[in-house]
Amino acid sequence: MRTMLKIVPLLALFGLPLAYADTVDDLLKGYQAQGASNFSAEKGQTMWTQKFNPPGSDRARSCALCHGENLKLTGKHAKTGKPIEPLAPSVNPKRLADAAEIEKWFKRNCTWTVGRECTPQEKGDFLSYLRKQ
Amino acid sequence: MNATGNKVRVWDLPTRLFHWLLVAMFALAWWSAGHPQQLDVHLFAGYTIATLLIFRVVWGLVGSWHARFRSFAYGPKRVVSYLRDLFGPRTLHPVGHNPAGSWAIFAMLALLLAITLSGLVVLGGEEGHGPLAGAVTLETGIGWHEPHEALAWAMLLLVLVHLLGVAVESLLHRDNLVAAMISGNKRVAGAQPAIANHRGIAGFMAVVWLSATVIAALPWLRADEKHPYQPFKGATLPDNATWRSECGSCHQAYHPQLLPARSWRLLLAQQDDHFGESLGLDAATLAELMKFHVDNAADHPMMEAAWYVTHSLKPNETPLRITETPYWRKTHAAIPESLWRDPRVNGRGNCAACHSDAEQNTFTDSAMHLPRQN
Repeated sequence: MRTMLKIVPLLALFGLPLAYADTVDDLLKGYQAQGASNFSAEKGQTMWTQKFNPPGSDRARSCALCHGENLKLTGKHAKTGKPIEPLAPSVNPKRLADAAEIEKWFKRNCTWTVGRECTPQEKGDFLSYLRKQ
Repeated sequence: MNATGNKVRVWDLPTRLFHWLLVAMFALAWWSAGHPQQLDVHLFAGYTIATLLIFRVVWGLVGSWHARFRSFAYGPKRVVSYLRDLFGPRTLHPVGHNPAGSWAIFAMLALLLAITLSGLVVLGGEEGHGPLAGAVTLETGIGWHEPHEALAWAMLLLVLVHLLGVAVESLLHRDNLVAAMISGNKRVAGAQPAIANHRGIAGFMAVVWLSATVIAALPWLRADEKHPYQPFKGATLPDNATWRSECGSCHQAYHPQLLPARSWRLLLAQQDDHFGESLGLDAATLAELMKFHVDNAADHPMMEAAWYVTHSLKPNETPLRITETPYWRKTHAAIPESLWRDPRVNGRGNCAACHSDAEQNTFTDSAMHLPRQN
């Protein structure tokens, strides 16, 4: 019983990072099945601050515009000003834990920022960068 | 009669305290009316007036002679003859209320009763508070709002008539009625019944009123800009986790109660162009959001703001923004552009900057606090 009491908090502590590692690994495998090659965290980082001017934008858009350049800090919605919780899993363990959530935001935010949906290669590069934060 | 004669007590202390507290509370109620943030001040005045009325009715039955209803219950003939003889050579001059004045007193008491009762109906219906909360519908509460105000105007008119009467009698009879209501004494010729001052009862009234004032003022003294005092909570509106997470991740989760169903249908049908963004919601999520919004839209109001939003719109108007509704425009017209641009506010979509119950979406009158501007 005493061992159990020690193990349970340990599991809780490591369980969350393990969960998102699994989720991200599964997603990366899926992207590769869709034709993506090896993923590069550096490319993901470059694209993070890259500026886009999709049709209808009145100023240059980038991921950092709302989420900030430092992923460990709270971001701010470009239009409404609503605070956005940090994306870095190291400070916000809720991130990268739910595959459907990840895909939803890729779809929504790539469309707004870049003007089209992201390719499996781009998504894989992003996740490779994000999971290290 | 008049400047000669003995000085005797006419008004006992509780009657005088009643009179001047009523004057102060009616002024306070008038001043705080129409200022949503001061609703609790208005209610303090209103409840005090109601309590004073109850006291006055009891005192009219058991109080000292000139305070008793029986002593100034005059028929209409006496009023007419009093008014006819007013400017002629006088033979009769009542020590207490004169026949014309007594009718004004009874009318004011009846009006105050009607004002406090209608106020409780408005409070119960519009805000869901007070003894009639739950017993009165939103429609009834809103319907009684204007009659409540009209009755208050009628009361103000009667107060003016009363003041005019006081001025006329004071001048004609050389009898300072205002001073008499302060000191309690009048100069009266001939023998008069002795009237006790009832200091104990007056002291009790003062202690009760002062304690009530301190208790009502304490939360205001404790509040600051970061922790505003919110004396009233609104009704609990239907909630939905999908609505909170999906709508609430980019902007405040605006409750379905804030727009009619036709607006929500159009808004959600255009999810590919949601004010320039594509929401990309899957069919199941979209269907759940649609149901929650249509079921709880402003067409079936559960709070005051929803009723006014609905009734400010023409049937052919389908606004996609809450800020486009006539009711929103009207209620926010006085807010200066500089406040919208203030970084603490950051635009018209951030209700929570001023409405401390924006999270609950109830937008009660008392939860509104404009940030101070330099």
